[in-house]
Amino acid sequence: MELEFSARVHEKKVASDGVVGMIFLLATEMMFFAGLISAYIVNKAGAMAWPPPGQPRLPIAVTGVNTVVLLASGVTMWMFAAKNKRNTLSDNKVIGKNLMMLTVLLGATFLAIQGSEWAKMLHFGLTTKSSMYGAFFYTIIGAHGIHVLAGVFTLFYMMRKITTGTHPSPKSLIDSTAIYWIFVVAIWPCLYYLVYLS
Amino acid sequence: MEHGHKQSFASKYLFSTDHKVIGIQYITVGLLMAVIGGFLAYVFRYNLAFPGKDIPLFGQLLPQQYNTFITNHGMIMVFWVGMPILLSGLGNLLIPTMVGTDDMAFPFLNMLSFWIFTLSAIVLIAAFFVPGGAFGGGWTMYPPLSAGGYMNTSPDLLTALFSGTSLMILAVALEFVAMLMGGINFLVTTINKRAKGMTPWRIPLIVWFLDIASVIFMFSCGPLVAGAFMLLLDNIVGTGFFDASRGGDPILWQHLFWFFGHPEVYVLLLPALGVLGEIIPVFSRKPLFAYKTIIYLALASAVLSVVVWAHHQFVSGIDPRMATFFSVGTIIISIPFAGIFLAFMATLWGGSIKFTVPMMFALGFVALFLVGGLTGLFLGSNAFDIYAHDSYFVVAHFHYTLFPDIFFGFFAAFYFWFPKYLGKELNVTLGKIHFWLTTIFFNSTFFLLFFNGLHGQHRRINDYSFFGNVAMEPYSTFEKVATISAICLILSQLVFVLNLFKTLSSGKKAAKNPWNAATLEWVTDTPPIHGNFETFPEVYRGPYEYSVPDAKDDFIPQNVAN
Repeated sequence: MELEFSARVHEKKVASDGVVGMIFLLATEMMFFAGLISAYIVNKAGAMAWPPPGQPRLPIAVTGVNTVVLLASGVTMWMFAAKNKRNTLSDNKVIGKNLMMLTVLLGATFLAIQGSEWAKMLHFGLTTKSSMYGAFFYTIIGAHGIHVLAGVFTLFYMMRKITTGTHPSPKSLIDSTAIYWIFVVAIWPCLYYLVYLS
Repeated sequence: MEHGHKQSFASKYLFSTDHKVIGIQYITVGLLMAVIGGFLAYVFRYNLAFPGKDIPLFGQLLPQQYNTFITNHGMIMVFWVGMPILLSGLGNLLIPTMVGTDDMAFPFLNMLSFWIFTLSAIVLIAAFFVPGGAFGGGWTMYPPLSAGGYMNTSPDLLTALFSGTSLMILAVALEFVAMLMGGINFLVTTINKRAKGMTPWRIPLIVWFLDIASVIFMFSCGPLVAGAFMLLLDNIVGTGFFDASRGGDPILWQHLFWFFGHPEVYVLLLPALGVLGEIIPVFSRKPLFAYKTIIYLALASAVLSVVVWAHHQFVSGIDPRMATFFSVGTIIISIPFAGIFLAFMATLWGGSIKFTVPMMFALGFVALFLVGGLTGLFLGSNAFDIYAHDSYFVVAHFHYTLFPDIFFGFFAAFYFWFPKYLGKELNVTLGKIHFWLTTIFFNSTFFLLFFNGLHGQHRRINDYSFFGNVAMEPYSTFEKVATISAICLILSQLVFVLNLFKTLSSGKKAAKNPWNAATLEWVTDTPPIHGNFETFPEVYRGPYEYSVPDAKDDFIPQNVAN
């Protein structure tokens, strides 16, 4: 609807405004994480021992399971967006709402597990002040956590807009939300590998 | 589309989503911040020339205040004057009108961007009034001065959060959020909302340059935000990212800062070069020479701009092999800019040049920037930089780049587009007086400082009477000349203020296209209505068709079919 109108008076759109804007935002986000990761790698390379002696070890197994949870939410989001891309019903009809609910649920589960692991680690004495190991852990994983949290809120916003039918172009909303969510999911395995495994 | 309908005062001027109002708001706040930045410069320049004397309108300047003032002068002039005026101000005013559309892609986000920016300015100024005062460790905020409470004692979280250091970091972070929103808007608007027929190679140069500047900004600000995040944690939570005694690394901040900080120079330079690209063809009545090549050169400079940052760190303890790499990169990046300037000169060649006020500022920019650019080549080579580092040579160098860039670039744009966007004709005589006074006093302020720097004067010293060996004659006289000229430079801006208010109150109504320019903004009403165009224009040709043989006038606007 919006696209047709613009085609008459404007050059053809590359993709919807929301999607193009989101891609530029995520390019910036990518550089933000690149900054954190390179600081981490440089610091780790210069450290005497990594992880430092006397500091708790990170919960590799639980977080591994949690990684699967987050990846699953990425898959459900992908399926939801793909379903609606193929959807030839009228512009405001959204299908596969169960997949959307499932995505939110999996995202919230990921956050809950991360939160409980953080509480344990703080209890074991890994804090932002205890070592550079702790400082980088909480900063990088925390920065990612904030992005997941923002993602869950965005998903809620999307759900409300779709169920009440108040967004002018729900397909653009779904696409841009999906791109954001898949970005947050996709950088997680990299962070998991760099911070927990290596 | 809601064309030019009645709105309340608040929704029209304060919380407007109209890109033109937002552009003017950005420029207004930028100019107000320039007044503060200029006042700080006046105070510390006065102190340098007449140390220990009472400063008129201020009083005694304490050594710590001197540090605070130079720090905030730099911060304000780069981030709260250059960025809002050149990038956000011009971008908002020009992009939608020049690509031929009604507004930005996300008007609400645009309004939010301006208010977050204003908030950031308030946070920055508020830092002057917290206990301990504003941050004074230099605008680059190097740790350890900026970390762990060296500049401010921070016993608990709340005090730490409201310390001068933390507030400055927060202000920068907020400003980046605002600029990011603006940048996304610029790019999406240019990509998705161009008028029919506005193909990529018909987009005016300034729109290209504003977009390239936005891309550079967005690509480079991520690592700095990451660094600022870590620095803030160092200050308020007590992590040790930049504390060498706890396994951190202060040099790391310098890398994260300059990875952004150097591209930032081009973020400020490209919009002003774009202004030149619009003004020079109009007042030479010639098509812009090598339009496509200029854009390719700008893209090349964008790529190069992210691999030159460590030339700011030649004395920080850098591997000599790496220093060579960054030296070479720095010298290479002057090639695209030399190309761009050469293309502007070629545009002038054989043209029928009209010395209007915007044209004078544009040509003044070229002449002055030449001095800044050439001294930059010296500083780029690390052997010389180690000698000149942190001296007045560096100060004079970057003022010769940034002052023409920010102020001459802005004034050129102001005198050129003011009649269009505010609908009144500016006084030409006052404009010319403004140009000559600014040019003369700018040169007499900064040119002599090159010699002071070469002689060994360091820029962070507030009172040279303690350093007789570098403060002898004629250098102490040079300091006084620079200070008196700086005061005259600031005072001569009153001519600009006078012209502005005189025109706003009693200026003649401007014509629709007073300069006979060919780009789309001159097709709109003067001033453009909310929504810009009565009917969306269609574009048939490039932006610089001047002196066309057999044409009715000597130019053909972009929206005219054959």
